[in-house]
Amino acid sequence: MKKKSCRPYLYLAPSIAVIGLIVIFPILYTGYISLTNMNIYHWFHPEFVGLQNYAKAIFVFDSGFLSALLRTVLWTGINMVLQMVVAYIIAVLLNTEGLRAHKFYKTILMFPWAMPGYVSILLWKMGMFNNEYGLLNQWLGKLGLNGVRWLDGNVSAFLSCTMVNLWLALPFMIMIIDGALQSVDKSYYESATLDGAGFFTKLGKITIPLVRPVIAPAVVITIFTTFKQFDIVYLLTQQQGSKTGADIHTVITYTYEKAFVTNNYGYSAAVSVLIFLLLILFSMFTNKELKEGYR
Amino acid sequence: MKKVLASALSVLVMLGALAGCQQDKKAAPSAKPTESGASSAAKKDAVNLTIWYENDQKIGDALQAQLNDLSPDVKVTVQRKDKMTDSLKLVGNDPQSAPDMFFFAHDKTGLYAEMGILAPITDFISKDSLSDFIPMTLSAGTYKDTLYQLPIYFETQMFMYNKKLMSTPPKTTDDLLKFAQSNTKNGTYGFVEQHSTAYYAVSWIHAFGGYIIDKDAKPGLNLQGTVDSLKYHKQFVKYQPSDGDYNTMTALFKEGKAASTINLPNLAVDAKKAGIDVGFAPLPTVNSTGKQLSPYAGIQGVYVLKSSESGKKEAITSVLKALMKPEVGVAMSKITNDAPANNKAYSDASVSSNEIVMNLKNSADTVVPMSNVPAMDVMWSVTENMLSTVNKKGADPTTEAAKAQKNALSQIADMK
Repeated sequence: MKKKSCRPYLYLAPSIAVIGLIVIFPILYTGYISLTNMNIYHWFHPEFVGLQNYAKAIFVFDSGFLSALLRTVLWTGINMVLQMVVAYIIAVLLNTEGLRAHKFYKTILMFPWAMPGYVSILLWKMGMFNNEYGLLNQWLGKLGLNGVRWLDGNVSAFLSCTMVNLWLALPFMIMIIDGALQSVDKSYYESATLDGAGFFTKLGKITIPLVRPVIAPAVVITIFTTFKQFDIVYLLTQQQGSKTGADIHTVITYTYEKAFVTNNYGYSAAVSVLIFLLLILFSMFTNKELKEGYR
Repeated sequence: MKKVLASALSVLVMLGALAGCQQDKKAAPSAKPTESGASSAAKKDAVNLTIWYENDQKIGDALQAQLNDLSPDVKVTVQRKDKMTDSLKLVGNDPQSAPDMFFFAHDKTGLYAEMGILAPITDFISKDSLSDFIPMTLSAGTYKDTLYQLPIYFETQMFMYNKKLMSTPPKTTDDLLKFAQSNTKNGTYGFVEQHSTAYYAVSWIHAFGGYIIDKDAKPGLNLQGTVDSLKYHKQFVKYQPSDGDYNTMTALFKEGKAASTINLPNLAVDAKKAGIDVGFAPLPTVNSTGKQLSPYAGIQGVYVLKSSESGKKEAITSVLKALMKPEVGVAMSKITNDAPANNKAYSDASVSSNEIVMNLKNSADTVVPMSNVPAMDVMWSVTENMLSTVNKKGADPTTEAAKAQKNALSQIADMK
């Protein structure tokens, strides 16, 4: 009996070891560093300083942080709604009966996912939004209109970042919704049609309830990815050597600029732990909402 | 049978997963220091030294070629290392993993010195032996009165113009402004620069008596000179593309759409290759202060790691002596078009006939070496935020400068 109970743990051991090494250990080590004075002046022999770094890190949560937090919530909300709506429409169109070459369209739609995010973002920056050479301003110029400084103003930069995020995130959402739609038994729709149900009735009574359990985990994953998005906002507006002047910091870019450039690892680790706790709270809240939604 | 196989596979996978954690002894780039009491046979063994660098492969190859002559007594391996700054932070004090020396720009001198991984080069060579070197290049690698870098060459920004679009280069900034005003139309520009980047805008700040940070790590963003430079410089930004980024500005000059620019020597080389007839002129003088624009200079040179100091002193000394020779600067300038740090290199015809190199050399007295204090790391971002807000969003220079100074002081405090 005892032998039997050990075996599952043996099978799980490699996975647990890998998870422990790449997930648990870095978190614990970050927690340890946050309690030391590890900075360039005490690099190789840091000393234990208790909660000093946390006392300092609390000041990161100033008015700038609060506006960044609100902006991040707005950014997450807008992006999620747009992603869901646009991906749903595209997925429905892809599932239109009799659509020719739908596999080709699917492949094309997956393209943004195949490109490294960093490259895509910089291509958008130079190829689309650049005031001088960007495609958007070239078009405006051809129409006899003045160019727009896409990434300089707060609102236009926010919208531009949203556009890029949408472009990068859509393939994943389309794939999930497309799969979910294909899993719905067509006979439900046929019965509903016979009963005289219209498009919106079918959507509300058949499609959404049936695809919701499939889409929900993907939505949670995407909410987190969007909430802690760094690359798009940083590379488009904050990159060293080409800052645009737009102040659209998210929580992550704000703390990066306030803490991580200081080479003070103890302090930066304390800020990271606080953000980690913030995300845990957010995760608990989202899970609770999701569970309630299932009932 | 299945269970045995599953168990064996589990163990194998776990071992495989943990295999990456072992230290790769073969990866250790340098041999252990020779013990002082070693036998005469051991003394005859070659001392292996490793030098890391992050620049272009050609630079590493040129360094390697200069050091091959030290063989068989000293075998030097010049090894390219991506993300060298981060690697040195992680292993800089570990003789098993760290190199013996590294080749890098001078601006991280303070950072590494404070971390305690650098050995002063005066432990190996006397300061007097460096009397042929341009003083500015030596001061760049000096931190808290200790010289840590052996300078090899330096680069800085220069005024370059398209001879087809600009017949006479301006002597003053007011002349340059007038030229920009009258020659900026229909997608062509009289003057372009990376106006909102700290590295480029600092030449204007210096010309007005301001600075980004001084040698005591005191930021100077709210100084009257800095604020005055922001106000004056803003007039030029009006006649340039608002992006102000490297790609846009260099593309405009290379495509013949910009008459003049201030940039690094490699742009001149690329523009010439693109068919632009490039001319060079001294940087213009600011009318109101009478001071010439004075950009930052970056000095590339060699550092010695403290972890390698004992037991390899003779070998390291011989490497430093080899790199002090004017021939090294000559070889490097042929590849980089940068200016050798050793004055003797300029007697070589290939150097003295190189217009770009001689322009750089002539500016050596007016340029300012980039600050090498650790606090400079936070100043780049703070200064650039200030510049982009003033230049791209039209914010008030005085207000932004005060805000940036406060931010800089707070971030410098956070470093400790």
